[in-house]
Amino acid sequence: MSVTGSDELARILAAEHPALAPALDGVARRSLLKAMAASLALAGLPGCDWRPDDDAMPYVNTPENVQPGRAKWYASAVTLNGIAQPILGKTYTGRPVKLEGNPDHPLTRGAGDVFLQAALLGLYDPERSQAPRHLGRPASWAAFDAAMQANARALDQVQGEGFRLLTGAVTSPTLARQIGDLTRRWPKARWHVLEPTREDQRIAAAQLIFGKSLDLHFQLDQAETIVSFDDDLLGPGPRQGVQARLWAERRRAFQAGQGGSRLLVAEPTPSLTGIRADRRLVASPRAVADLVQALALSLGIHDAPAPTLSATAQEWLGAVSRELSEKRGRSLVSVGPWYPPEVQALGLLINEKIGAFSKTLRLIAPIQALPPDDRSFAALVADMEAGRVNTLAVLDANPVYAAPADLVVRAAMDKVPLRLHAGLYHDETAALCHWNLPLEHDLETWSDARALDGTVSLLQPLVRPFYSVRSRHTLLGNFAGGSPEARTVVQDTWRQTWGSDFDARWRDALYSGFIAGSAEPFVTPTVTNRTVIAPPRPLSQALTLAIRPDPTLWDGRFATNAWLQELPKPITKVTWENVIAVSPALAEANGWKNGDQLRLSLEQRAIQGTAWIVPGQERDTVAVTCGYGRDLESGAGQGGYNAFALTATQEPWHRSGIALQAIGDSETVATTEPVHAMDGFDFVRRVAAPGASVAKESKAESFYPERKPDSPAWGMSIDLDLCIGCNACVTACDAENNVPMVGKDLVAHGRSMHWLRVDHYAEDPDEEPSFAFQPVPCMHCEQAPCEMGCPVNATVHSSDGLNLQVYNRCIGTRTCSAYCPYKVRRFNWFDFTGNDPEPIRAMRNPDVTVRQRGVMEKCTYCVQRIRAARITADIETRDVRDGEVVTACQQACPTQAIVFGNILDPQAAVTQRKANARDYALLEEANTKPRTTYLARIEPLDPVERGEG
Amino acid sequence: MPQIFTASADTRLRAVLFGIVFAVIVGMLFLGDILSSTYSTRVGWVRDQPVPFSHKHHVGELGIDCRYCHAGVEIGAEATLPATHVCMTCHSQIWTNAAMLAPVRESLAQNKPLLWHRVARLPDYVYFNHSIHVARGVPCVTCHGRIDEMPLTVQAQTFQMQWCLDCHRNPAPRLRPADQVTRMDWSDWDHHPERHDGFGEAVMQAHHIDSTKLIDCDVCHR
Repeated sequence: MSVTGSDELARILAAEHPALAPALDGVARRSLLKAMAASLALAGLPGCDWRPDDDAMPYVNTPENVQPGRAKWYASAVTLNGIAQPILGKTYTGRPVKLEGNPDHPLTRGAGDVFLQAALLGLYDPERSQAPRHLGRPASWAAFDAAMQANARALDQVQGEGFRLLTGAVTSPTLARQIGDLTRRWPKARWHVLEPTREDQRIAAAQLIFGKSLDLHFQLDQAETIVSFDDDLLGPGPRQGVQARLWAERRRAFQAGQGGSRLLVAEPTPSLTGIRADRRLVASPRAVADLVQALALSLGIHDAPAPTLSATAQEWLGAVSRELSEKRGRSLVSVGPWYPPEVQALGLLINEKIGAFSKTLRLIAPIQALPPDDRSFAALVADMEAGRVNTLAVLDANPVYAAPADLVVRAAMDKVPLRLHAGLYHDETAALCHWNLPLEHDLETWSDARALDGTVSLLQPLVRPFYSVRSRHTLLGNFAGGSPEARTVVQDTWRQTWGSDFDARWRDALYSGFIAGSAEPFVTPTVTNRTVIAPPRPLSQALTLAIRPDPTLWDGRFATNAWLQELPKPITKVTWENVIAVSPALAEANGWKNGDQLRLSLEQRAIQGTAWIVPGQERDTVAVTCGYGRDLESGAGQGGYNAFALTATQEPWHRSGIALQAIGDSETVATTEPVHAMDGFDFVRRVAAPGASVAKESKAESFYPERKPDSPAWGMSIDLDLCIGCNACVTACDAENNVPMVGKDLVAHGRSMHWLRVDHYAEDPDEEPSFAFQPVPCMHCEQAPCEMGCPVNATVHSSDGLNLQVYNRCIGTRTCSAYCPYKVRRFNWFDFTGNDPEPIRAMRNPDVTVRQRGVMEKCTYCVQRIRAARITADIETRDVRDGEVVTACQQACPTQAIVFGNILDPQAAVTQRKANARDYALLEEANTKPRTTYLARIEPLDPVERGEG
Repeated sequence: MPQIFTASADTRLRAVLFGIVFAVIVGMLFLGDILSSTYSTRVGWVRDQPVPFSHKHHVGELGIDCRYCHAGVEIGAEATLPATHVCMTCHSQIWTNAAMLAPVRESLAQNKPLLWHRVARLPDYVYFNHSIHVARGVPCVTCHGRIDEMPLTVQAQTFQMQWCLDCHRNPAPRLRPADQVTRMDWSDWDHHPERHDGFGEAVMQAHHIDSTKLIDCDVCHR
């Protein structure tokens, strides 16, 4: 029975996904399926494919060390902004199914973020470019090679004049070597870098005061007091895993009573760091720059007229000065990378003054390879415009989409006679290029990359590429007329470095996932220039625009990734689009509500987006995030607006002089949490100091029989004091448990399928709000209401304390969900998985059932991992050891907020956590006796301490 | 007032009602039987295979151990089927030109796997793990029957949940020494119970096997 008769499909699509309906005209079934692919649920179409799947195809020649059904782990890395995020990839007979941070890596120690977890879906993305194209039509690699050889011969005659290479940020030693070789062969060729979210202003700041480019490395584990001037230290980006882990180390020491852990933040819009802050000041970007200057003045660094500060700002600054002076050598000041180099340079001088150098702030040579003459992207556009470029090779960059809007990239590119684009997707830049070459994904390629501290990780393929793709090293060689093999090129780099030691060291690096001892050494530079002149201030205009990378799509590269599209943004919990964040005061003054369509105009440009009221945002600051408003061939990522249209080369992150007006309509926004109020309940509890007890309800009577737990008795503890709300746990759970993505409309109906949600609370939203995050998985209640309610016993209690969900018994009455006080149960309202394209089926974890329409599902405490560990332990005739079962969420959390284990084992980590005085259960009054409990946040409750009243 | 219903209307109504009840009862009986019939359970039914592999010859006559081919049975959930090269370890030297073995040679030559049609198959929602059963001493013959007497492979047991639960509720009588799991003929064991009195119970005690926990749903369904 055909499940995709196009009329039916068109009707349903028009009803459920109106944003796509116009794209359906004249689209054939195949290309439509491709377009729908990973990003949408084909709702309501019964999947009646009863072909029995009972054929077995063993190997012809079993590869060595492969045991079908047993996972093999390979160490590799994925990259974000070129920076390595080391992973261990779990593969089943050559199929990667899960990524986890590499726990042996000296810097990350297994910490990761949402981008690391979601990279798996990027590998299997059906929307990836699958074959080379020439002028929009499929072409062969042979044709491409021939064209490149001819072009290279012509360029050889002119020493490469007119050849321009544009890449993203490069940390790969091999790629840097290849580029060096290329520029030596063609001295007149040039290399440009475009990475919109790069921290180049930070590097420029180091250049200003040290006279050389340096990277900053924050030793957050050594800092008892951290002052952040709009620097999202714990927020999304390549730094998140590492910095969250280091911060959590200090926080855990603080919880044990060893030293302090204070975070003082001044920012215009709420960020993860601000939410964790002990003292948060809401300040516009201009005020933040003023604050840095005022602090520098107060420390005697700076010599300029004092800026005017508001009373609250002065008070905050006073607290900052006081706390910094109390913790000399144990404090850190950080200025966000959004600020001009001069402001950041002041931050560096402040750090010198407070004794942070070599203690809490370390400097290393930049891990990125930079063009020798540091030609910016603007120079490339100018050259293209002037006709000086005859060959433009774009290697994994997207200038047409992401370049600052004041550069007219399209027109400039049109002047280039030969344009080559190598990338994962057929994106906006690819549409303008003659040749589109599909790039290998990080998980299927040979390469190398450096982590934040410079440690090199080798990228090895977890799987042979399924498409006709080439690695960036091969393609770079191709651009120069050669045809190198990627693995050989990478090996050559290390052969040169290691000499005769190569074989052993290569194997060791592949096995462990990093090259030991390759971290950049810390440098202690001398300050050569103390005169820092702050940039001229723009005239104060009414509204300031703060542009930030998106917390789930980053700079737009993940627009086709359904997990990230449907991942609720940490603070607003909005999915599938970006919003224009406005303060409550501004919204009230203009009569705007959530969902209202606004037109934001700046100079000659305008974008249209949805208003969203964000408590805790500065009154006259409007925040937008990049990454949406894509123009991909398939139509994915169209939701939202393109914030890059508002950036300018000299002002990439803050703009002034914007106008904002409502344009009448109101759209439904798909948010997983419409209300962020606790309404007087005590879901998130707070204590005033480490060691203090949390207020608990008295034990209530229950007429249900008490079940005596047998060992092992599984339980979980989530420390709200460590949780930063990054959502890595949610993405890891999605990946591990084959959680389907449902699309924007169903999320708007409250039918998202994430088994784990991270609730965000903002209390007193109109004043200085107090924020909190709370991850809520299934509580696995000992007295579970759902078990009592199920009429067919599809949810039962196991002898090890799990609340089980047996999918084959479930008939979909949804009584369990109605009875659940925590509302952690998710129902498959439609068949979300029956029409999955092949690559998505290949990605699914074979240890976990893929659920059909009509069954309830929920967090299972990763029962597949528990069973695997129990079977292994049983075969070896021993008990399961503590730490042998690590749930997906626990593994992904960079701050180790989640701990899981046997609560009957007195030595287990989870037992120690539950014995903590801060331990409490959510909804204690429901008397469900949950196995998942929380540890209260430690926040000084004294109003004076908090800076209020 | 004219009569709407004829005299026979009553009879017809009663006949229909009786017929419905009868049909329902028969249907239930019939269905009940159908679900345990070999048509549903496939017990004893031979499946067409690319090569008519005879376990009777290889196991019964030649004495090859199960694990030579089904190598995954001690280390993982799946017993696994042998790769083509396992067949060729012998058949590259004997019966090298047999017409019956042509598909095997084809498979090796073209590097295409043999498409076996699975006989002992459980539904996808059952997560069965071979290694723990083999480690505990559940002999292959318990579930797969006298493979050494099968010229063509058939499913020997119904593999219905009831059948699995029968053992999980009371595993002791079915446990045998773990080093003899591939032994097919246990007739002497069955005929002389006094020689191994309490063996199964001893194994259960040694490994802390509690049969009430063996019937937790998550043991097989997740």
